[in-house]
Amino acid sequence: MGKKGTLLLVGTAKGLFILRGKADSKDWTIDGPHFAGRAVYSAFYDGRAGRKDIWAGPVSWHFGAELLKSTDMGKTWDAPDEMRIKMPPATKKSLENIWQIAPGADNDTLYVGVAPAALFESKDAGNTWSLNRGLWNHPHRKQWTPGFGGLAVHTIVTDKKDPNDIKIAISTGGVYQSSDGGQKWKVTNTGVKAYFLPNQYPKFGQCVHKIASHPKKKNTFFLQNHHGVYRSRDGAETWEEIENGLPSNFGFGLTVTDNGSVFIVPLDSDGKRYTCDGKLRVYRSNDDGDTWKALTKGLPQKDAYEVILRDAVGSVGNEVYFGTKNGKLFGSPDNGDSWKMIQGSLPEICCVKSYAV
Amino acid sequence: MSVTVHLSGHLKAFSSGELEIALPGEYKTVGDVLNSLWQRHLALRDRILTEHGDIRQHVNIYLGSKDIRRMDGLVTPLTSNEVHIFNAISGG
Repeated sequence: MGKKGTLLLVGTAKGLFILRGKADSKDWTIDGPHFAGRAVYSAFYDGRAGRKDIWAGPVSWHFGAELLKSTDMGKTWDAPDEMRIKMPPATKKSLENIWQIAPGADNDTLYVGVAPAALFESKDAGNTWSLNRGLWNHPHRKQWTPGFGGLAVHTIVTDKKDPNDIKIAISTGGVYQSSDGGQKWKVTNTGVKAYFLPNQYPKFGQCVHKIASHPKKKNTFFLQNHHGVYRSRDGAETWEEIENGLPSNFGFGLTVTDNGSVFIVPLDSDGKRYTCDGKLRVYRSNDDGDTWKALTKGLPQKDAYEVILRDAVGSVGNEVYFGTKNGKLFGSPDNGDSWKMIQGSLPEICCVKSYAV
Repeated sequence: MSVTVHLSGHLKAFSSGELEIALPGEYKTVGDVLNSLWQRHLALRDRILTEHGDIRQHVNIYLGSKDIRRMDGLVTPLTSNEVHIFNAISGG
């Protein structure tokens, strides 16, 4: 990333860790755990418009989930007496967890995806928040069902050039998208399998684990499903399998680097949910998923039974980072060609977010 | 009657460090006491109750030595001047 360093926000089951360093160096500073004892499934650094805001969504299993902000890189956190994100009374639902914090197209819009399967939006850089009613009132909502992690909007993909274009993924519901800034939502799961349902290609009900956009090809998207890896060439409307060369089509995390390489970490089926054959292998595709290559340099290839969660794979530029439930944090400075372990004994890693700062 | 609320240490981040809070006044129910507590420390409310005013699943509130979930919840009549708020022993 040139002269810039890399900021890693690593959410774990026991708090948030903030790491600073250079991708190719051995020396990372680590600060944390912030919110010790609370699980952090979402974090985001907002460097837009001169801001240096770190957002995080720690959840206390006793005292609830809340959205917190730091304007001094984690030295202090702004936790308002009244929580920022609340389910409105009419929903008769309570906030369970915050799964995703994502920027909108302009400098001030932020989105938050939560359990129970709702989207919140802020148009003023996080000062005020409101429930997205279009999604909440979607007629499918009452038929969405929870997965192991609850029923959540866990993925938000926005288009920097089109503020009206929002795509989300729900487990279990699948991919939904809006072309009018979130007023109306349509379901776009065509081609995505739900092997756990009698009708294996339903209109909705898929357990989509993660979607990501191609940085240069506007209509190209990638999807890691609950069994299934897919590509879309038509703006996430329809999906085709891209599993040639993969040891398994099960997994959670997915990221796409600036040069268009796609990264996933296959796991051995939803029955086992650990890395295939006891080998920690990241798989990369440089041709939009037509073929995949196992990346192993610097990764353990024996007795490595790791689990990588849906937001625990991330990238900035052509650096790639991922964390495991066993608390190992790995980084690659060279688009996945080689890897180093940055931390080996963190708590269970729930999310890894990387930024050039 | 005046009531004293005892908080679990986990909650002191939301009560300016206070763990024993005397609330002078007349109260009819546990809910009345809590409403007074929120006047002192608003941050406690959202951490102890859900956004709909229900006691969070893993928070326990005792009137004297009795769990108010086994009584009438927040409308339990005040029969003791001691209220205890604990996090449940759940966790992982």
